[in-house]
Amino acid sequence: MRGYLAFMRGAMLVGVVYRLGFLFTILGNIVYMIIAYFLWRSIYAGKETLNGLTFDQALLYIALGSTIFILLKTYTDWGMAEEIRSGTISVYLTKPIDYQLYNLFGTIGFASTTILTVTLPTVIMLLFVFRIHFALGWGYLFFPVSLILAFIINFNLDYAVGLSAFYTESIWGISTTKEIIVSVLSGALLPLQFFPAAVQQVLMVLPFQAMFFTPLMMVTKPDQQAGVFLQMLVVQALWAAVTYAASRLFYNQAIKVLRVAGG
Amino acid sequence: MTLIHIKDLTKHFRILNRHEGLKGAVRDLFSGDYRTVKAVDGISFDIEPGEIVGYIGPNGAGKSTTIKMMTGILKPSAGVLQVNGLVPYDNRMRQAMIMGVVFGQRTQLWWDLPVIESFKILKEIYKVDQKMFDEHLGMFNELVGLKALYTQQARTLSLGQRMLCDIAASFLHNPQVVFLDEPTIGLDVSVKAKIRGLILELNGTRNTTIILTTHDLGDVEALCRRIIIIDKGKILYDGDIKKVNALFGAYRTLKLQIKDYAEATRTALQNGLAGKFGAEHGITIAQTEDCWTDVTIDQARTPLADVLAFVMTNFPVEDVRIVEISMENVVRKVYDGALQ
Repeated sequence: MRGYLAFMRGAMLVGVVYRLGFLFTILGNIVYMIIAYFLWRSIYAGKETLNGLTFDQALLYIALGSTIFILLKTYTDWGMAEEIRSGTISVYLTKPIDYQLYNLFGTIGFASTTILTVTLPTVIMLLFVFRIHFALGWGYLFFPVSLILAFIINFNLDYAVGLSAFYTESIWGISTTKEIIVSVLSGALLPLQFFPAAVQQVLMVLPFQAMFFTPLMMVTKPDQQAGVFLQMLVVQALWAAVTYAASRLFYNQAIKVLRVAGG
Repeated sequence: MTLIHIKDLTKHFRILNRHEGLKGAVRDLFSGDYRTVKAVDGISFDIEPGEIVGYIGPNGAGKSTTIKMMTGILKPSAGVLQVNGLVPYDNRMRQAMIMGVVFGQRTQLWWDLPVIESFKILKEIYKVDQKMFDEHLGMFNELVGLKALYTQQARTLSLGQRMLCDIAASFLHNPQVVFLDEPTIGLDVSVKAKIRGLILELNGTRNTTIILTTHDLGDVEALCRRIIIIDKGKILYDGDIKKVNALFGAYRTLKLQIKDYAEATRTALQNGLAGKFGAEHGITIAQTEDCWTDVTIDQARTPLADVLAFVMTNFPVEDVRIVEISMENVVRKVYDGALQ
């Protein structure tokens, strides 16, 4: 276990090396939020609520959504694909480590630098520049757990996409497709309430909503009963477990390509 | 007890026959046209604890494939393979604890991190305690002066420095066996000497078994007591280095550039050498396309210095180089029955 924590620490150190990149990420996010602010203000022109969300809630949802999107964008799949394509994965296979956990902890390390350099500044800006009103409620207590589960589900998807490099020279297409599917179906771009009712029903039984919609709902509508949030967490945890197991099975299949057919 | 036991080990790869051009590439998408490549084709040997074994052969001989099977990366197609009594492929995590591996072409150091951070990560995953860790680093520092490199990012190291750090990393958890796959590739003579010294010292003080694949016969001469020669997936020779040493150690090639070279020069050279050193002189002459005359000398029969002196005084020589016999030549000579 301490070994994996060492990977996490290592990834944090690597993350800090690329200091300049963070500045641009923050800058990009600020620009995005300013655009979102005016866009949603015109959408809400004269209306108190839309699809059950107030302007403040919608803006909070969108701004926090884009921040979480950056947090979850860890490039794990790209890193893995490079390791697999170049054969560097051999180096890890000769070490007493589990490749999935190795990547998970590395990703956590990378993301924790993002929290300090991107997420915190954004939240501060939401509080003091856009002066969004936060309602009080249970949701905030559940939010951190929900975010961690969302992170794990996202990692499992990335990990599976990265593994596809065993089968294909370039994962560009697969990775881009995954990103589009996730950003639309998870509610990262648009609150799921804005989808037609039938589509919403379908989306609620897919894993993607557990990545963005669930944690974001906890913050935008925090004043619900604790039981409601608890139920949301259970669904998320189930998806985290299912995707973890599925990507592990996929690894066992994919690694055969290397082990039987050679690197 | 035998550390590594290999019997009739085989690894076959199925490779898609790819076709030329765009049309061929499209065809390949649906093609079932495979050919089988026998990368390793029924090899057997045993390695005892504390040995340094040179595992050599030309490009594509099956060296790396064997190493990858021994380290548990590749699954053998057939045959028996045990390291420390266990099958590496089935017990990858456990086996990894007793192994160290250096792939000369890759690094196990984290590219963006200072070297010492990579060592710390390895310390944790191999569960090395602090006292042992400090001792190891102190020892490497004494042997090759690594300390100055510890704070540098791995990607800023030179190839030689990186290799020294990589070797240090692979010995950090005091493994029973270390696989060194081309550890001196692309390095200059002084770094090669350092690396050889380091390997000998580690083998001597810790009795670590070392399996070394290399292109460089100098590595083998300097390090190994036993040598296994492999070509086209089969073992050509397995035994004492001395016998092989007598074969390739004795041979040197004198490369000459002679002014106004013509066919007559060659005849004159041949006759001159025959006259000077007798018919049984063990010298062969060949002309390479880039205007060098290769004079290969069996030093057991004729001293190189004498030949050089003779040539220099009797021919208008513009340039001279002395090269060791190449791996390809050794393999050719073994094929020709030189070791029987």
